[in-house]
Amino acid sequence: MKPLTVAFAGTLMNSPADLVTRVCQGDSDAFRLIFERYSRPVISFIYDMVNDRALAEELTQETFVRAYRSIHTMRAETKLSTWLFGIARNVARESLRARVRANNHVDLADKSVMDLSDNKPVPVEGLLSKELNALIRRSLAELDEDKRLVFTLKVLHQCSYEEIATITGFSLAKLKTDLHRARAEMRKRIRPYAGVGYEV
Amino acid sequence: MKCEVCLELLEEYLDGELPREDRAEVGEHLIACAECSASFADLTAEQELFARYDRDVEVPPFLWTRIAAHTVAESDAARNGWYKRFVAVFATPLASAIAVLLLAIAVGVVVYVISRKPASKPAVATRQTGPALPRNGADPIKVEDPKPAPKQDSNVVASHRKSKPRVRPAIAGDQSDVLSSNQSDLDLDDLDTARHIEQTENLLRSIRNVPVSDSDEDIDVTYDKALSRRLLNENVVLRRDAEMKAKFPTKTLLTDLEPFLIDIANLPDHARPEDVRVIKERVKKTEIVAALIDYQDRGTNNR
Repeated sequence: MKPLTVAFAGTLMNSPADLVTRVCQGDSDAFRLIFERYSRPVISFIYDMVNDRALAEELTQETFVRAYRSIHTMRAETKLSTWLFGIARNVARESLRARVRANNHVDLADKSVMDLSDNKPVPVEGLLSKELNALIRRSLAELDEDKRLVFTLKVLHQCSYEEIATITGFSLAKLKTDLHRARAEMRKRIRPYAGVGYEV
Repeated sequence: MKCEVCLELLEEYLDGELPREDRAEVGEHLIACAECSASFADLTAEQELFARYDRDVEVPPFLWTRIAAHTVAESDAARNGWYKRFVAVFATPLASAIAVLLLAIAVGVVVYVISRKPASKPAVATRQTGPALPRNGADPIKVEDPKPAPKQDSNVVASHRKSKPRVRPAIAGDQSDVLSSNQSDLDLDDLDTARHIEQTENLLRSIRNVPVSDSDEDIDVTYDKALSRRLLNENVVLRRDAEMKAKFPTKTLLTDLEPFLIDIANLPDHARPEDVRVIKERVKKTEIVAALIDYQDRGTNNR
């Protein structure tokens, strides 16, 4: 990779790299800016993973506390969002595993919403958004953890494959396979609502 | 390209992850093949459906307070500890005497200098006595506004536009008892669209203003690219909403925005100058930023 030019598009003094530098120098305003910029995607991502609002709030707190304590270890070439998602992923994973260990597994796959569907396509416009949201949320919860992870990062958070590989540590081949399968499973579940009628 | 090959690559094509040659081939095939084109339309519709996913989760206002208590507040407390120890040193009588002596000398020197130069410029020391100067004194943004702008994802350029009174709660809260406000006519979609337009304007301005030299050094557009991906997703949803609600000027504007967002979203993290230049020139030529400003200036109520 060639050395980068000094030209940076649209980042000025509050670029992620600058914010990280400022946090390392003890600037608490900079950390607050990081929180304000990234807390929403982070809490959304964690919520997608754990499907529990209160827990998502708690884990978001844990994510940012860990981020603050280890921000000086962040490598210069790492994207801040990717790094934060990586921490959030670890925090969410630890929580999910702890939940399994405690044998307190909640059956997230509530069939009640699935039962609302028949095999006839229903136009999206005709579907109550609340119902659609509930369906997507429950369908996500039914995916296994790896598939849910890559699907969430790619489809719901528009991360690139490279970013997903960095966040998850998965190989490109694995993440592509998981993503394809996750899409197929999600498609199967939402098909009656979306009117999607093809097989990929 | 055969249909089965095309269908296999469709998801990666949609994700913008195909190498340039494959992308071109799939694009050509989609133009020629109605069946694959229909599959792609289905895939896009599915993507739009997921883009509409609205989680029942928000960042609670107290979250920052909790996080700050475990992070920045701890650090500040540690720094205060040092300060207290420093002050404690001066608590001894000898040290206090030295400090007073030094202070007296300093005051004497200042008085002497002022009396020698009565017509000199007034001292600018007033700023130094103000509370909590920003740590980074060279940062003009921090000097003007030490508090971070709340929930502004795009803190790039045109910050002057951020002061526009587009936030309904503030208006309703401050003046609802004075004005027969028609703010109730605004729906949340309008506010979302206004915020979206503002962020997109900032993005396009930043692209328009990025310096592109003749050297072949790459340009880091990582942040802009990520922002563009998010805005693109948002744009698709808002455009469909505008269409469904017959808000045709909004729909037209959002339709016009989409190619720019797609192009920026598909740039590599370290883009070649000529790729950035092409987008930059198109932003200038089409005067899309002016159209966005005009749209915002017309106000939400006119939409």
